[in-house]
Amino acid sequence: MRAALSKVLVNLAKKDSNVILLTGDHGYSLFDDFRRECPSQYINAGIAEQNMVGVASGLARSGFRPIVYGLSAFIPIRVLEQIKLDVAHDCLPIIFIGDGAGFVYSHLGTSHQSLEDIACTRVIPNLSVYSPADRLELTQCMELAYRENSAIYLRIGKSDRGDIHKSLSIIEPKKMLKVKKGVVNKYSFLATGSMVRTAIDIAVESYPEADVWSVPIIKPINYIQIEKICRNSKAIVVFEEHSKYGGLGSLVAEISAEHSPTKILRIATNDCFSQKCGTYEYLLKEHGLDIETIQANIRSFLRNV
Amino acid sequence: MEFDPKTLRKTVLEMAYAGSTVHIGCAFSIIELLSILYKNHLRYPQNNPLDKNRDYFILSKGHGVMAQYSCMRELGWLCDDDFSNYFSDGSDLKGLADSRIPGIEVTSGSLGHGLSVGVGLAMGAKLRNTDQKTYVLVGDGEINEGPIWEGALFAAHHKLNNFMIIVDENGYQAMGRTKDIIELGLIQSKFESFGFEAITIDGHNESDIDNAITQLWESDNKMPKALIAKTVKGKGVHFMENNNIWHYTRLNEKTYRQALLSIDESKE
Repeated sequence: MRAALSKVLVNLAKKDSNVILLTGDHGYSLFDDFRRECPSQYINAGIAEQNMVGVASGLARSGFRPIVYGLSAFIPIRVLEQIKLDVAHDCLPIIFIGDGAGFVYSHLGTSHQSLEDIACTRVIPNLSVYSPADRLELTQCMELAYRENSAIYLRIGKSDRGDIHKSLSIIEPKKMLKVKKGVVNKYSFLATGSMVRTAIDIAVESYPEADVWSVPIIKPINYIQIEKICRNSKAIVVFEEHSKYGGLGSLVAEISAEHSPTKILRIATNDCFSQKCGTYEYLLKEHGLDIETIQANIRSFLRNV
Repeated sequence: MEFDPKTLRKTVLEMAYAGSTVHIGCAFSIIELLSILYKNHLRYPQNNPLDKNRDYFILSKGHGVMAQYSCMRELGWLCDDDFSNYFSDGSDLKGLADSRIPGIEVTSGSLGHGLSVGVGLAMGAKLRNTDQKTYVLVGDGEINEGPIWEGALFAAHHKLNNFMIIVDENGYQAMGRTKDIIELGLIQSKFESFGFEAITIDGHNESDIDNAITQLWESDNKMPKALIAKTVKGKGVHFMENNNIWHYTRLNEKTYRQALLSIDESKE
């Protein structure tokens, strides 16, 4: 995914000289190609994220197309007010890339982990929220974000979980994408970002009757599609590497409750910070997002459906 | 368009009384600064607040917005009804600067935002190779905010000599004297140490303001500019001067009349 990110950034910048990439001193090696190919469109704004977003706002007001890169613990969390007031309020076309979302920085602890970013950005008017699962979704989300010409937060989580989409054909990220076909009127698994791979693996292993959907765009959400899935599913499981408060699971539950009540299980982190240091897999286990714990929770949930 | 300080202050009083609003003192401390900026320095081609070649003025201390509204009335960008209906339901002008009003560049009031946006505008002008200038007016209390200093470092590093910060040093913030809350020391020295060319002046002396701005722009260097304006909170109405209750106090009929009279009777 990181190679795809580098490539799409270079392509956008070469196509449009108004594209300016700003980083808060993050992205070691990620921007080597960009700096070589488009040096005048690259700004390392230093370790000063609040100022970086303000500067991006000023640049956007003068007709530039800023892309602001940082770790998702900082972009958007540290600069949420700047995004709200200096960018979203005036519908400025700025793409915010929050990298390393979830438990990517498992060994570094809470300061670098990000389990609240979807919830915090979802509630800001005029701000869209993208959460691609693989390099194809990432590339097409970035291209769409550029075309949309509005304020967008793009979340990148664990980036080495392999391709979800086999073909490199055009996808329509505004729709949820069916990545595994099951049986009508049975179970639907909805997942976003890194957890799409998990949802597919669990479905293939234990629930061949389940549809699995990837949700690359969380806001604006495709209401019609979700309502239809709710209507046609006996039960829904939503997977995300994010807090169970305010993320995709909450969103699906909100729509379901209003339009087509369906039993929903949210596979997400509980309301707690990481306690221990360890690998990515260790942290998933600590937060109940490892395959075994998820399997047990789904089994228990479906017994009561 | 005279931008006469007495008239501007009376307009502030008119709208503060009409809307029963606060933040009078912090509007009065910047009256002469705004008067000179709008009269002699800010360039709006065809008097269009949205002209793409305009200079940028950002009132980062959005609490002083009534002073800016008063100037915008003189420019013909606001009409009399905007003032007589201030704060009425469904009206446009808010109690803090809001970018939905043409002529107001950014929504401020959450302090410490405007400088960075202004730095971005100044950088945009540099990249586009235009001669547009960007002014950001901040309060002295506002420079408690960290992003002010992030933006100052950035502006100096990128040699944005088309950028000017103006500090309204009235010595007060919401809850009291700046020296009692967060000592600011010598503001000019601070900006100089960050790589700015800085001048301190009497922020109510119109010719000093005018000359200092001209002098800063005429300097042949690559440094961003800082104008430190020593001002008096509540300036122009004797019972409001250096009396911080006028950050939060509303006018009644009696104090409104007394304030108007005080402006008429003041020497300048």
